[in-house]
Amino acid sequence: MSESPSALVGLVNRMPDPDRRGMYCTDIDKEKIEGAIRKILRGGRENIIGVIDMLVEPGKGDDVKAHYALHCMALHVCKLKNDRPRRRFSRTLASQIGGDRPKEVQKYLIRQLQVAGGKEVVEALGRVLVDKELCEPAAQALAAIGEGAAEQLREALPIVSGKCRLTILQNLGVVRDTKSVGALKKAVGDEDEAFRIAAVWALANIGDVSSATMLLRAADHADGWERIQATKACLLLAEKLRSAGKKSEAVRIYKHLRETRTKPAERYVSDAAKTGLAIDD
Amino acid sequence: MQKSKRVTRRQFLKSSVGTAAAFTIVPRRVLGGPGNTPPSETFGGALIGCGGRGNGTFNGLGPNVEKLAICDVKFVKHADNKKVYTDFRRVLERKDIDVVAIATHPGWHALISIAAMEAGKDVLCEKPMTRFIAEGRAVADAEKRYNRIFQIGTYGRFGRSRNQGDILTHKIMKSGLLKDCKGVHIKRGGLKVREWSGMVNVKPQPIPDTLDWDMYCGPAPLRPYHPHRFGGTHRGYWDYEGGGLADMGQHHFDPVQWTFAKDDTSPVEIESFAPPAHPEACGMWGWVELKYADGLTFVMDSTEWPENQKPSYTRKESRGVSLSDLSEEDQKKIKEMPDPEPLVGFGDAIRTRKQAGGHAAAAHRCATILHLANISIRMGRKIQYDPVKEEIVGDEEANRLVNQPMRAPWHL
Repeated sequence: MSESPSALVGLVNRMPDPDRRGMYCTDIDKEKIEGAIRKILRGGRENIIGVIDMLVEPGKGDDVKAHYALHCMALHVCKLKNDRPRRRFSRTLASQIGGDRPKEVQKYLIRQLQVAGGKEVVEALGRVLVDKELCEPAAQALAAIGEGAAEQLREALPIVSGKCRLTILQNLGVVRDTKSVGALKKAVGDEDEAFRIAAVWALANIGDVSSATMLLRAADHADGWERIQATKACLLLAEKLRSAGKKSEAVRIYKHLRETRTKPAERYVSDAAKTGLAIDD
Repeated sequence: MQKSKRVTRRQFLKSSVGTAAAFTIVPRRVLGGPGNTPPSETFGGALIGCGGRGNGTFNGLGPNVEKLAICDVKFVKHADNKKVYTDFRRVLERKDIDVVAIATHPGWHALISIAAMEAGKDVLCEKPMTRFIAEGRAVADAEKRYNRIFQIGTYGRFGRSRNQGDILTHKIMKSGLLKDCKGVHIKRGGLKVREWSGMVNVKPQPIPDTLDWDMYCGPAPLRPYHPHRFGGTHRGYWDYEGGGLADMGQHHFDPVQWTFAKDDTSPVEIESFAPPAHPEACGMWGWVELKYADGLTFVMDSTEWPENQKPSYTRKESRGVSLSDLSEEDQKKIKEMPDPEPLVGFGDAIRTRKQAGGHAAAAHRCATILHLANISIRMGRKIQYDPVKEEIVGDEEANRLVNQPMRAPWHL
């Protein structure tokens, strides 16, 4: 049963006051904190939203205790053997993103979903991938949750631009989405160096065998930082392919690097390729 | 990009064969000889992160390193991209730089170390090595993939490796003959909990025009600026480090890890006493107990837990490991074991290409001790760790702190 608003405020007020330096180093009563959190959570969705209502934009008021209480709640529901309170908590948080709450508050809710959320919130996170301010934390929460994340990222890719596009390209690599290989290959030819670098790394991390020639070409034709990163992607792809039993393609990558990186400044790459080849021998 | 006119080790190696027959007048230091270091032992260096630990870390590179570049996100007003930089990527592109000292906040340590090795540089990285466990494995992978030298900026293990008592313990533990180890190492205090906690009530402030705040945050969430998040006090925020435990822990536990021969494994059970952690600011904790598979236990007792709300750690007492823990037959085997090879310092390592004593894989295992302690504190529960898979067992949410997503374009 949920608390009355004043009772809920009373429970939140059981969170510690910052000490004179603004820290949680003194007057920390572990039992008191945990007892209050249990009571708040017992009140279900209404109490959770009540605490969320206490959150404000940074600098626009004092929400120190509510801010801490919400995180304590996220930690608490993860400790329980029963998964239902965790799902209820994360669904409630997910229902509060994408609306009119201040963006910094929504970012905070998303970060708590990164702590405690599961597959039940991936669609809600997917919906805010198109929001320039929420895309970054949402993509990170999706990557942390893992299950169901790839589909959300894949669907968002064609409709986002700028930093969101970079974020999604990278995270498609993080979640190793094989269904995004086509889109990532297109991004290898992008005009923006950051997109190209993100795409070659994503393809390498996915371990896509059909990308080997494209990655080698990208590395051969790049300069500076991009060349370093594209070359790393080639070595990473070779390792992924070798682990997946695709030895001949791995050997082809290593031999190419061994034979093309012969100038003194890049001899270490040739040596790395030789080491990779030696493992296969 | 303007290149230095000095002859670096790489340039010397590159040109020495082709021009050996050509007559030219060269400076004395290029030829070497008494009082002059030959170029084959002179290195071009860069310092990335020029805060309080910057010069000290750079000096750790040794005397034969010329500082060709300095880089810091606070150099926005006077960066010239020739000697002074704000973006480490521009530094790493330079072919005349052989070694890099990294003294940024630890949220950058792994990424810059990896990038430097990908660019063919050797690395001396200030402690603590990493911000989370997966970063350390990625650094160790890069060290191996590119055959680069990596040394962590703490040196206590070098002294331990010359001490007869520590050598004996090392041999006993390394032998694997001690099946049920009763050893308990307790570190009481010295982990600067109060000193390196974060503020929970920071109010956003304008970003100084001298600072690239986005680059400072790097892989961590882009937060509103506050001066307490910058400079030495960054240690109190999970975004950049892990409080005094992470900051001082590598100094304390790296030597102990060597003594107990745990450079290639990690604790399997971790339990802590702490209140629920704040999401952004590091704060108070009581103690942490970390047990290895063979029974060896490390303990961190903060000794800073408020006295009226105890406890300090009382569950176990300190106990060493000695020959008498073994059968007579096994004692004989230990006495016959050769002493471990002396650890190689960074300067010798970059010349001989032998692995440095504080190499990435060992430093990563030490950082893992600290991260596991902090994960147990942050999750508020006992955790089990698989040191081979480097994952927390059966705890999906805790594993999210083992490998944390990064803000693009930064990734492992």
